[in-house]
This record gives sequence, structure tokens and C-alpha cells, in this order.
Amino acid sequence: MSPTASSSKKKTEKKLADVDGELCGVCQACATVCPVNAIEVTESYVIVLPAKCTGCGVCVPVCPVGAITLIER
Amino acid sequence: MSVKSQVIVVGAGPAGSSAAVGALRGGATVTIVDRKTNVGIPVQCGEAIGKTGPSVAEIKIPEIAIQAPLRGFRVYSPGLLTVDFAEEEPSGFILDRRVFDKELFARATEAGADSLLGARVLDLTRSNGTVDGVVVRHDGKRKTLKANIVIGADGVNSQVARLTGLRKTYKPVDIDSCFAYEMSNCDLVVDDLMQFLLGSEVSPRGYIWIFPKRNGRANVGIGIGGAVETKTAKEYLDHFLKHHDVAKQQLSNARVIETRVGALPVNGPNKTNVVDGALLVGDAAGHVHPITGGGMGYAMVCGSIAGRVAAECITHNQVGSTQLQKYETEWRKLYGAEFDQSLKLRELLLKTDDDTLDRLAKIVTGESIVKLTAGKKVKIFMKAMSTGDPKLISLMNELRKLRMV
Repeated sequence: MSPTASSSKKKTEKKLADVDGELCGVCQACATVCPVNAIEVTESYVIVLPAKCTGCGVCVPVCPVGAITLIER
Repeated sequence: MSVKSQVIVVGAGPAGSSAAVGALRGGATVTIVDRKTNVGIPVQCGEAIGKTGPSVAEIKIPEIAIQAPLRGFRVYSPGLLTVDFAEEEPSGFILDRRVFDKELFARATEAGADSLLGARVLDLTRSNGTVDGVVVRHDGKRKTLKANIVIGADGVNSQVARLTGLRKTYKPVDIDSCFAYEMSNCDLVVDDLMQFLLGSEVSPRGYIWIFPKRNGRANVGIGIGGAVETKTAKEYLDHFLKHHDVAKQQLSNARVIETRVGALPVNGPNKTNVVDGALLVGDAAGHVHPITGGGMGYAMVCGSIAGRVAAECITHNQVGSTQLQKYETEWRKLYGAEFDQSLKLRELLLKTDDDTLDRLAKIVTGESIVKLTAGKKVKIFMKAMSTGDPKLISLMNELRKLRMV
């Protein structure tokens, strides 16, 4: 699971959503509100795609366990 | 490429299994695919269901999934006045969703459906713009499964909804963020009523629930508005368990035996749930009660309608949205008005402050409300009017517009 950064996308956004896998219960709330479809859900974990994530932070408050934080890229 | 089966159902929850059964009854061949390898796990739900849904869908509730019969519910106002809405006889059940989902899924396969687990939907295939299959990742490989109709029963974060464009994304304000514990050693004051606690302190834009289960166990959870930024759902629930009088009374000895998370759509059904060659059911369709968050009854009824309509359309070899529209027409006839009314009531409740809710509760507390008869509605209305309280009177007038009183 090594996400590849997009080279075509301009790196104007400095933030990135980061999911704490130990807290995450895979409820998918974050994925349902992500406006750019940057969160992929598998059976046991979620993956933020750095190439798509704009760091908008809309996923942060919807997480019922506070597993998502915005980190510096 | 050969057709996998006439109908592919994406998602093996109650909506998907019911859709599969509906399609099988209509004579279609069906394959159910699910991203997960364990159907029913993890549980992401309050686990309550009314008797009506399964009965309308003609799908029997598996006995082994029943945890407790329910006669109704008790609501605590923010100031802890209680109002009971209860019938004499059980009108619903608390289920073990793990067992329930798995049983419905197993039965669908026993009725003839094929299954493919651990298959994540990556894309849809189309022919002349009409959906005619799904692309999945399964066993580490990309596979294409062709069908005549695809039914998306893949939950609040539905890939079929996204890929068909029927629902792109939710605004945080349109979902509820949920957290729950299954607990043992509970000392519930009622074992055949669901308990709901309202109030901006305990649960902003949502409620806390305590649902009875077998052997002194309970499902204790919270749903808060997705846009609430003060604290997380878990923090609100933990605070409730530690400090609230109701928790001290009933859950002071309780122990956590499972933790659960979930997300719910609370802004009503999608504008439409039908495109050429595909339709949506269950949470994917937005078929969740905007106030209670309940969805299993709708999932089973609308799911079985969708399956039946899909089979009919395949028989007539016409799978366009015009023909599939029959599904929309049928479910709207059953639930359209109910969704419309509850959405308006939700708006009204969200703008009603805690104090006014308490004053409303004061009017009706002590009344055992089985059914709000016309006479009882008038009595409650007059009682509220006689208080001379402007906020309460305005609320009652709004409620009257919605024909609630």
C-alpha cells in the first residue's frame, strides 16, 4: 500500500487527510462526504489517495471516533 | 463475454438480499456480490426493526436473529421528561444484525442466488449508455461480470450510486455520524421499549439510544449530525455514560463487549434511483427515516419491489429507465408521503430549542400514546394553546401543518 503522488496535479494544497488505522472502524462516513472521491474503502481499512486529496478537511468532523487529522504534506 | 446472471445485486445486506429474493421470485437469475467476506460484520446499526416491513416484503424474520420483542419507544426530553409511544403487543424487534444479515443472505442463496464475496466494485460496464455489468476486484484480479440489470444495494457509500451519477457525495449536514457500544450487565428500566434521549447537550442534531437485548445486554449508541464539530460521536457517548443520570441509573455496571461505528443518510431518498440498466435500494437509495435513522424495513420492502420490477423488465427485454421507473412509482406510493413528512418534521425538530421541547414534553408526559387519535390530537393541541407560550404555540401550529397534531 504505497500511494503514488500525482505528478500532473499542481501541488497547491499543503494538507492531507490522515487516517489513524487503529482508531478507524471503517464506517465510511469520511468516504461519503469526500467531494473528490479520494477515500477508498476496503473490508478492513480505508485509504486516502494523496494524489486526489485536496486537504479540504470535510471528512474530519464526520468521523465518529476522531480518527482523521490533517497533516502537512 | 457471457452473462454472469440476469441480475447482479451489489451488497449483501438486507436491501440486497431482499432485492435478490424479489428477482428470484420473478424468475430471474441472480448473483449477489459484496466487498466484504463476512456478511453482517461489522454491525453498524441500532438493530431495531418493525414487524410491518418484513411482512409487506413477505420475508420472514429469522427467529434466531431476534434478541427482544419491542412494544414501542420511550423518549426523554432534554430536561428528562418521558413520553412513551407503546402498543399493547410487540410491534417490532431488536435483532442481532450479524445473524440477521447472514440468514437473509444465506436464504437468498438457498433460493437460487449465486454469490461472490470479497469482490469490490471498481466500475460499471455499459452498452449504448445502458448499464450492463460491473467490474470488480476479486482474488487480486480485475473481473467483469455481465448482467441485464445491476441493483446497487451497497450502502451509504454506494459505489453504484457514484458510478451511475445517482448520488455523488453527501454534505456532512446530510449524514449522521454514529457510534455505539454493545454492553453487558445493564439494568434497563424497560426491556420491551427502545429509549431515546434528545437534547443539544447529550446529542446535537441527533439522539442517544438504549435498545434492550437478551440477557441484560443492550445496544447503546449515539447519532449526531455529521457537521457537528464540537466533539466526536464517541466523545459524546462516553460523556453520557460517565455523567448522565439515565446512564448512572441503568448502565453504571455495564461493560463494553463490542464497539461499533456507522454513517447514515438523513436527507431522504435520492431524487431518482433509476438509470438505464441499474437501480438503487436501501441506504444507497437514501431509504432511511430522516428522524429515527431506521432503514431495514424500507430496505426489505423497496428491495423486494426492485427485484420484482427488475425481473419483469428482463422478461420483457426492456431494461431502460422508463421501464425501471415502475420501481420508483411503487416505492413512492408506499413511502413517498412518509419521507416528505418526516423530512419536514426533522427540519422543525432541528430548529426547536431544548426548552421548547421540554415544554412540549410537559404537555404530553404521562399520556400513554398508542395511536394519536383525532380526539387526542385536538386535546394535546388545545392544552398547548392554553399555555399561552408563544414558542410552544408556534411549534404546535407547525406540527398541525404537518398533520402531527
